[in-house]
Amino acid sequence: MNLTATIGAGAVLTALACALLAIGAATWGQRARRPALVGMARRALAVTAIFTTLAIATLAAALLRDDFSLAYVAQVSSRAMLMHMKWAALYSSQAGSLLYWAWITSLLFAVFAWVTVPRIPWGAAHAIAVAGGVLAVLLIALAFIASPFRVSPITPADGMGLNPLLVDRGMLIHPPFLLGGLASTAVPFTLGAAALLSARTGEVWLRAVRHWALFAWLVLSIGNLLGAWWAYTVLGWGGYWGWDPVENSAILPLLPLTAFLHSAMVQERRGMLKLWNLALVLATFALAVFGTFNVRSGLVASVHSFAQSSVGPYFLIVLAVAVVGSVALLAWRAPHLRPDHEFDSLLSRESALIVNNYLLTAIALVILGGTLFPVFSELARSGRISVGPPFFNGTIGPLLLALLALLVLGTVLPWRRSAPRTLSRRLRAPLVTGAIAAAAGAAAGLRDPFALGTVVACVVIGHVTLREYALAARGVRRASGASWPAAVGALFDRDRRRYGGYLVHLGVAVLAIAVVGSTVYQQQSRAVVAPGERFRAGRYTLRYEGLEERPGTANGVQSELVMPITVSIGDREVAHLAPGRRFFANFPNQPTTIVAVDPGWREDLYLFAQGWDSAGNAEIHAFVNPLMTWLWFGAAIYIAGGLLAFAPVRAPARARAPEVPDMHDAPPVTEQYV
Amino acid sequence: MNPRRAAAAFTSCLALALAALVLLAALGVRVPATRAQTPEADVLAIERQLRCPQCTNERLDVCELRICEDIRTQIRQRLAAGEAPDSIVASFRALYGDRILWALPRRGFNLALLGWVGASLLAVLLGGGFALRRMRRTAHPATAVLTPDDEAWLDHEIERARDADGPPPQQEP
Repeated sequence: MNLTATIGAGAVLTALACALLAIGAATWGQRARRPALVGMARRALAVTAIFTTLAIATLAAALLRDDFSLAYVAQVSSRAMLMHMKWAALYSSQAGSLLYWAWITSLLFAVFAWVTVPRIPWGAAHAIAVAGGVLAVLLIALAFIASPFRVSPITPADGMGLNPLLVDRGMLIHPPFLLGGLASTAVPFTLGAAALLSARTGEVWLRAVRHWALFAWLVLSIGNLLGAWWAYTVLGWGGYWGWDPVENSAILPLLPLTAFLHSAMVQERRGMLKLWNLALVLATFALAVFGTFNVRSGLVASVHSFAQSSVGPYFLIVLAVAVVGSVALLAWRAPHLRPDHEFDSLLSRESALIVNNYLLTAIALVILGGTLFPVFSELARSGRISVGPPFFNGTIGPLLLALLALLVLGTVLPWRRSAPRTLSRRLRAPLVTGAIAAAAGAAAGLRDPFALGTVVACVVIGHVTLREYALAARGVRRASGASWPAAVGALFDRDRRRYGGYLVHLGVAVLAIAVVGSTVYQQQSRAVVAPGERFRAGRYTLRYEGLEERPGTANGVQSELVMPITVSIGDREVAHLAPGRRFFANFPNQPTTIVAVDPGWREDLYLFAQGWDSAGNAEIHAFVNPLMTWLWFGAAIYIAGGLLAFAPVRAPARARAPEVPDMHDAPPVTEQYV
Repeated sequence: MNPRRAAAAFTSCLALALAALVLLAALGVRVPATRAQTPEADVLAIERQLRCPQCTNERLDVCELRICEDIRTQIRQRLAAGEAPDSIVASFRALYGDRILWALPRRGFNLALLGWVGASLLAVLLGGGFALRRMRRTAHPATAVLTPDDEAWLDHEIERARDADGPPPQQEP
């Protein structure tokens, strides 16, 4: 008997039993109105996390101990790999990533059971049952379809090692955030389903869900941005977002989640969009499951996909159940989800937020269609095609530009209604700034109308957002006499969500300008050069110094072939770069690219080696990518804004009144339980 | 200083600062007025229209597979021999089919994807418009009886109160 496999598989099965117990006890407790049973279900949900933690610790220990008796360890790890890459190997393949997903989900649900469930007496039993269901789905896949604890028929002396493309430091941060973000969409889904099941769809569920939705949005955003950074620094094609089917799957859940964070404000302020908000959180989770299915089924070919396995059909069934169940729940409760207030005017903040939701929905539909089209194309013509950047940039670009313009309106318009005169007064100065920006941009050579439009929209966003900060900080200064920095800090203390959100808008504006700069104005060149020969890329002169071979260091790297380049501008040397190739002992046919980047505030010089010969000649590919540093800077502002919006508010001096849930027809059992 | 004048002065300064910033940034990314059209640039221009026939979503010019190296060599040779770029692209399309083209051709079944885009936009436009209209049609009568003058006065008062109040009241996270 293999002790490691027994402990790991036993932990997964026990966790599954706990999840099933949570479902059963919560359902029975709700039906029989027995609070003790609901309490037991809550504890069972939390205890699931203990066993998934034991399972993942067992797998991690097996990886660190080079226990190749486990087939998974032999497949993804090797003795030559460093300790941190062995940890990364844990979630690098099908079964391990599922375990990681289940572990994160169980941890989130443990926090949810302990912190949120006591605050939702209106739907505690329903929420626990749904959460248990989500966990059970993942644990069934782990226990019976894709277990990382399967024992190898013959224990090999060494493992294969990590796929060469994954041997990178980015592997330590990008997948954990992305998988964590996708996993965390389960909590808003659980709360939405519980709200529908218990018919508490008003402010009480919104209050419970908004922090979790913001958390999921933040983690998923970080995961996607880290993915872009990883693609840029590792894959070696000069870009950071290729509209690959799996990239699309990762960004799809972010769209309804972003829409929800905006439309939730409309429900909070005006009691409208109740049905829509619930649909958004349910759709977010359904799209996360779609992404899982897409990555794990081999449905759409992608460089990111896991190997095709029987997990695919299983997740297709899960997806179908999630979609049909969500639609049925929404249809069941729709007649009771009428707005508290009616819509007053098109010239209002709520109308801008609603149109923002429409645009995000349209973007999601277009991305979904483009992602799935190769499948339909193959079915229709028995030939597979790829849908890539030309399609997505051409269709999504104008919609994103409209979204940027709407962001301006959403910031300046007041709630309920505004007179056209008021709107024009508030827009006058930003539009003047925009006009100056347009003239300056045109004078500087920005001829592309899309690029110019984006720059103008982003400058106007910058103006209206900074004005919002300035006006509010001026008010604080008037009231308290605080300094400007203290006044701005006080704004975040008073309303983190609002002012954190504005910071996210600023980040989006910087990101958008950088995206336009780096795509529309990218310069590309290529040269086959002999040692000592020079060639040009943009304003740079590159001198190739000759081929160098270096021995491998760790992680299964056998050797590296580098082609050192001295970079000059005029007579001034500015950088020494070394693009090349990395060769792996266990994967002789999969050398990876060593990308060399010289970053700068104005532009990046991005080099990779495309070929070489025995005489030492090299084929060097060079991209000049404008504003790339600003892209990462914009991403940092975006994340900082999200963190500020998410951070808990400091405890006020006076005790806050306890929340009074809407109790008049709440199920008696959960009221007593809490 | 009068708060309105102060706000106007602040706005003007902000506008100028932002405009200066944009000007600097725009000058920074200025595109060269004339790009040197080298033979390699012509080769790259054709390669960028094609994708790897084996990989997913990988452009021909950056793919490292042997087959792509061969195609790139062929392009270079045929271009040097004086063949027109369109003819080179067409020959590869004849050999591999539409999947070799980087941009999805707007013909045949591919039109279904454009139809999907149009249908999605139309559905969102019509559905959204209907929803907005429905919400608007059932508007509160109390707000509908205001005359334009009343509306303007009310907006003015709300604006004044907003200016006087400073930041909004504390909200929960």
